[in-house]
Amino acid sequence: MRSFGYAEAENAQGLAAALGKGYRIKAGGIDLLDMMKERIDKSERIVSITGMTELRGIKERDGGVAIGALTTLNEIARDETLRKAFPALPDTVCNAATPQVREVATIAGNILQRPRCWFFRQAEYNCLRKSGQACYAVAGDNTYHSIYPMGACHITHPSNIAPALVAVGAQIIASDGKNPKSYDIRDFFLTPEQDLKRENKLPQNEFITEIFLPKMPEKSAYVEVKEKQSFDWPLAACVATYADKKWSIILAHVAPVPLRATLAENVVGEKADIDENLALQAAEAAVKTAQPMAYNGFRVHLAKAVVRRALLKACGKDFHA
Amino acid sequence: MSETTAPKNIMQPKEPRPDVRQKVTGTARYTADQYPAKVLYARSVRFPFGKGSIVNADVEKARAIPGVVLVDVKKGKSVNYAGGIVGRIVAESKDALEDAMEALNATYEVEQSRTNPSKLYEGVPEADAQANAELKGLFDGGLKVVEATYTTQVQTHSCLEPHGSVVDVRQDGVEAWVSTQAVMALEDAVSNTTDFPASKVVVHSEFVGGGFGSKFSLGAEGTMACRVSKERARPVRAILNRSEEHCDGGNRPGSIQYMKIAVKDSGEIAGGRVHVVSTVDADGGGGGIRNPNYYKFGNVVRTEGDLALNGGKPQAFRAPGFPQGSFALESMMDELAAAVKMDPVAFRKLNETSRRRIEQFDRGAELIGWKDRKADGGTPGRIKIGYGCAAGSWGNGKGKCSSDCEIHRSGEVEVRVGIQDIGTGASTVVTDTAAWHLGLPRTMVTGKVGNSDYPPGPGSGGSVTTRMTVPAVRDSAEKALGELKKELASVWKTEPDKISYGEGVFVNPTNNQNVAWKDACAMMSGASVVGHGRFNDEYWGEGGSDTVQFVKVEVDSETGVVKVKKVVAIQACGQVCNRLTAENQVCGGIIQGISFALFEQRMLDPMTGGQLNADFINYKVAGPVDVPEIVAVLDVRDTDTGARSIGEPSTIPTAGAIANAVANALGVRVRHLPITPQRVLEAMLEQKGAIA
Repeated sequence: MRSFGYAEAENAQGLAAALGKGYRIKAGGIDLLDMMKERIDKSERIVSITGMTELRGIKERDGGVAIGALTTLNEIARDETLRKAFPALPDTVCNAATPQVREVATIAGNILQRPRCWFFRQAEYNCLRKSGQACYAVAGDNTYHSIYPMGACHITHPSNIAPALVAVGAQIIASDGKNPKSYDIRDFFLTPEQDLKRENKLPQNEFITEIFLPKMPEKSAYVEVKEKQSFDWPLAACVATYADKKWSIILAHVAPVPLRATLAENVVGEKADIDENLALQAAEAAVKTAQPMAYNGFRVHLAKAVVRRALLKACGKDFHA
Repeated sequence: MSETTAPKNIMQPKEPRPDVRQKVTGTARYTADQYPAKVLYARSVRFPFGKGSIVNADVEKARAIPGVVLVDVKKGKSVNYAGGIVGRIVAESKDALEDAMEALNATYEVEQSRTNPSKLYEGVPEADAQANAELKGLFDGGLKVVEATYTTQVQTHSCLEPHGSVVDVRQDGVEAWVSTQAVMALEDAVSNTTDFPASKVVVHSEFVGGGFGSKFSLGAEGTMACRVSKERARPVRAILNRSEEHCDGGNRPGSIQYMKIAVKDSGEIAGGRVHVVSTVDADGGGGGIRNPNYYKFGNVVRTEGDLALNGGKPQAFRAPGFPQGSFALESMMDELAAAVKMDPVAFRKLNETSRRRIEQFDRGAELIGWKDRKADGGTPGRIKIGYGCAAGSWGNGKGKCSSDCEIHRSGEVEVRVGIQDIGTGASTVVTDTAAWHLGLPRTMVTGKVGNSDYPPGPGSGGSVTTRMTVPAVRDSAEKALGELKKELASVWKTEPDKISYGEGVFVNPTNNQNVAWKDACAMMSGASVVGHGRFNDEYWGEGGSDTVQFVKVEVDSETGVVKVKKVVAIQACGQVCNRLTAENQVCGGIIQGISFALFEQRMLDPMTGGQLNADFINYKVAGPVDVPEIVAVLDVRDTDTGARSIGEPSTIPTAGAIANAVANALGVRVRHLPITPQRVLEAMLEQKGAIA
């Protein structure tokens, strides 16, 4: 790991000033420090924001829920209000990574973490996302890469919590130190077609202050499939929510962004109660546009399975039957 | 959970290891914790892809970085695996070393690598004419015949503490810290590499974070540390990082195992054809798949070969060749049992070679609840329950070991043995063995290992450490006690053999008075007495290492996810020296077996030959949630009087038992390890035409 300059921000003004001098934000530090140790991220100055306690915590507000940017995954996993009103949200993080990581990893850090692509994460592979000429996943081993093509790079989006936030149309509240900015999470993430180097729209001079969920869904469920039950990223996952006579079905870990399965949403329509047959039809529709690569065809089947299961689970039904 | 069959011979009740506090609080000092004053940092420059060479590297730029001492890169040197060494860098700090590594900004020529064994496999060679005639008789004789090909992946050793050495070559001798499972052999290796006589060399290895067979030599990093330290007259650290560890720290070679076996309607196996291939490195060698084994397989025509890949070199890995062989042959046992419509346990007992295991199969079946086992694929719904079993064993030869037992005037006892504790609890075994035979509480005794100046003991390979150490430690304890009696005899003016002793109390034969241990020790003329012990045949005793394991799994037939719910191990190991340590060995073997069966696999990129998962995120090792309930039964009988091997046999049967349980759950057999969701789904598509 290279030596780096280190500062601690005490408030928004101080943080904005640091960002102006080119500092990178460190919250939990889980992803950033890993990237720096591997010399993929060459940040020379980092600013810790863990002292900005006003960015931490879960509050009910304006009929919705505001989650501070520094709220840890375990604080979300343990929150009684969320557990009752929107169980899919704590479910997305309660088995993520390890208990130690969940105690320090933050919601904003989870949303902003860089891709886990094993070519991107090795300095020897100068891939498209690192200014190189080729995506190594095309001809190489792409077992864990995207099954929905969205451009020349084939990452999957690594955030566990983002799909649940996309499902309920959360707002990402950011700041440049002077003015609050608001991003609709539904178009916050960038596909490789939109931008090869960045995974979201947050500019370097801004920082997330909170995630606001305007309304809790009437029904929600999260289902994931992992090779290993301790410390693993899912092969496929799905969040399904129902509110205002509309379903949101969001696929995760199968595409470069949390993927809204609109074809599946069309199949289920306004129906509040979904039976096995309809869930299966929706699942089929969700993978209609999938185009797996040479090594990851099996994950199309898994994507289908998690959509079916999430819909049935949201309706309180046993999907194992 | 644990239980024991006959606790009569158990020397010690369950007691935690004396060094547990040091390990848990981080005060135990491993090789990687050694930072002598003015230490230099050394690391190899490695080729990152499967085959090729470095075309260009900016050596001048690397050398110009402040703190960089030495940069040496062999441009054009051809390399056959990712992680192959093409140079070295030495620097004053780790930062400077890594900056120099990056500054090289090497360009590479990359050739096509051999990465996919199933594409390179040439099939089963023709047997000779006579063998062919015998086989024809077997296969055409109206017997049931099962033919299958099984494959296993490459598993890296993944020791938590990486390989590494810290070497200080001084004018008067050499002091070295090496993460090794052979501290005595390493003294010779350091002596040879530094040109100092062994008497001027001391190797420390007090704590070792795992070896699993990969830490017997000084290695390229240790050799580099010795040479640079000698050249520069400064201590040198050379510790592998995690990527180097995966690529070049040793591995269990993969395998392709063809079996075609004929079985009589009675269930007796008649024989057949076996061809095993090990997937090794480009130089070849290091395979050796143990198939067939354990059961009466009848007349088998067996051939063996190597398949060279552009990957790191195999090293001995906890029961080398056995878990791979066991997975294939135990899978075949279940396939044969199905062919003659027999219960897998009954079928195994019929073809067993060991009476002990026949009994163990009954005990294990009872503890796992074998009677609840349904027909293959018989669980209703998508979540399928399955049961499986498999056998294992280990050879127990005698060997050499020596030990010093020193009794101090204070009454405290120190026992020194030139072995090493690679995480198994070897120092605990030394402590508890001496305490037991001296009749003292273990708090009075300190077992010391991991220093090449101690009396020579064996390297920790072949599960020999406990079985060779115990008779030597006992010998040294008895001899030290004899020395103490001589001291008392001269004070009491009597003969040593007239003094009786037991449980910390001597009896003075001249007045029949009891004298407590500490009071007796205070009477010695010098500061201490020492008993020099050696491996003593008298204390070898009886015992063996037979084992069976039973597994219960839950398989999600829609997603292919396998969860191991329970493992029962019935493990013979002779006399138990410390129950917690022994059970811990069994549990460790099982967990590593689960990890081998379901998760771990070296993944080489088909395009570049680089290892894509040379870390602990993409190289998947079983974690806490993946570890099931384990019932470790130490199968100890009254006749088991000698300490026997436990580390290796305990990891042999696990993968085969899991594969059989998965097949029972699904009604579909996965013949390829690891049994990932992908493999399960592929097997269902192939064998049933659809996924549940």
